Amino acid sequence: MTPVSETAAPEPLDQNEDHRRPYGLLLVAVPVLLVVWLVIWPIISAIQRTVWQPTADRGYAFSLDTYAFFFSDRYSLDNLTVTLWTTGMCAFLLLLICLPIALYLRFSTGKLPAYVQSLAIFPMFVPSIILAYAFIRVLGPNGMVDILLNSVGLPKIRTPYLTPWGPVIGLVWDNIPLTVLILLAGLGNVSNQSIEAARDVGARWGQVLWHIILPRIGNSILVALSFSVLGIFSSFTLPYVLGPAAPEMMGPFMQRTFREVNDPQMAITQAVITFGFCIVFGLFYVRSVAKNQGT
Amino acid sequence: MAAATDTQNLVAPPARVDFVGIGYAVVLSILIIFPLLVVGTWAFTDVWRYPNVVPQQFGLRFWNQTLTRADVWSALWLSLQLSTVVTLLSAAICLPAAYAFARMKFPGRNVLFFSFLAGHAFPKFGLLVAIAAIFLQLNLIGTFWGVVLIQLVGTLLFMIWIPVAAFQSVDRRMEEAARDVGASPLRVFWSITLPQAGPTIAAAILLSFVGTFYETEGAWLIGAPGIRTMPVLMITFINNQIVVQYGAVLSVLLWVPSFIALLFARRVIGGGAFARGFGA
Repeated sequence: MTPVSETAAPEPLDQNEDHRRPYGLLLVAVPVLLVVWLVIWPIISAIQRTVWQPTADRGYAFSLDTYAFFFSDRYSLDNLTVTLWTTGMCAFLLLLICLPIALYLRFSTGKLPAYVQSLAIFPMFVPSIILAYAFIRVLGPNGMVDILLNSVGLPKIRTPYLTPWGPVIGLVWDNIPLTVLILLAGLGNVSNQSIEAARDVGARWGQVLWHIILPRIGNSILVALSFSVLGIFSSFTLPYVLGPAAPEMMGPFMQRTFREVNDPQMAITQAVITFGFCIVFGLFYVRSVAKNQGT
Repeated sequence: MAAATDTQNLVAPPARVDFVGIGYAVVLSILIIFPLLVVGTWAFTDVWRYPNVVPQQFGLRFWNQTLTRADVWSALWLSLQLSTVVTLLSAAICLPAAYAFARMKFPGRNVLFFSFLAGHAFPKFGLLVAIAAIFLQLNLIGTFWGVVLIQLVGTLLFMIWIPVAAFQSVDRRMEEAARDVGASPLRVFWSITLPQAGPTIAAAILLSFVGTFYETEGAWLIGAPGIRTMPVLMITFINNQIVVQYGAVLSVLLWVPSFIALLFARRVIGGGAFARGFGA
């Protein structure tokens, strides 16, 4: 973090650090080994187990059978499609909702923006299971919205509960805080001077947004998107509780294949396929965080 | 974030009413606070039949019914046990590691530091399924320690990265000054380093306790059917729709730890530092 002070540190201190070298490794060993055992190894093992499968004569051979099955099975493909649709729709709605909020928060001060910001961050402190329950009570059949519509003589809504829109609404609600925070951090890099300069030469707000602001927060938008895609693609709780039974999103699908159908091999195949669809976002996410931490 | 006054002049001259802000405040209040108020109302309702706008009868009857259910108590007890064990283990292995990352030089330091991101670079449930396949061979499915392990992995990133930042922000000169006047390294750590880094570390520990308490997916995939934590019980209540109020009462009860976290974690979450941790 502070290369200057480190290089300028007096000699004895440096030797002291050298002397401690093995202790540092020792202190970080347990969590690092845990990551290796429970993150890296399962991923390698999952890939290896799905392409190197047992054969009839008790041997092992290279085979892509489970993948071939997945991509030829109507039901699996439907599940993949609904997952892709949900993820895309959530990402789109999140940007549509959060970018204006973040812009407003960046360019205003006072009590009202502070209130808006705390509201936008609030869902972070509502566990998704409570959110799911609140969703059903408000938007479900005979929920609060129906009650209110009925009281003013309007017909009931077609409830999104148990339709593909159910998980979309829940997931967007759940992901607003992080998206707003990430976009807001990105907007912190847009200097007021550059905007003033553009305004001085007569640029309208739309032009300022398009030519000055958006190019500078492009990276933050991508980070926010990667983060929500990684979270939403294999989300479990909200699609399980709020979504339709079929087609279902990859999260509930994997869970059912693993526990109820009792076919771990197929469940791992589905997991590796989700890894494949998210790998770009995962790599981008790691790269941005690493660049930002800048050790 | 420089020149806050500038922005004010730029966008909102003092005389103008902030209609945009009022709009956001109203819409977000309705979308975010209103659903939770509905749940809160249900928890204190004895009778509420459609289509009445307000419940016919308020009361605490269902608190009594919910709190006398044996499965609620065993789930609550189990969740508290799990969260405590996971948080203690996590603190025991992560805090020394965080200190080492912040203060010591050793080979591979950067690579190891960023290795904790690995768990967050993959879709979470896919990763859980891959872990579950390994636990299946180890007979850890449906066991307490299987769930502990899976939840422990979930806490690593926060429990290392937040304390690392805390240790790094401690003024080295104060520590060196204490060493110069003859304090032992342990004494320096106890009297100088810890009090300064303490509040942030406490917030990280609290976040990991609350996060573990609400962790649903690992508990559901690895723990079922033997391990029924509070959120897992809540899912069964919602799916079976036995009595509406059970879910509402549990929601209100469950939200208490989250509320405490909200109060304590504001210092950690406020500002850009937190978002930057996510790569913004």
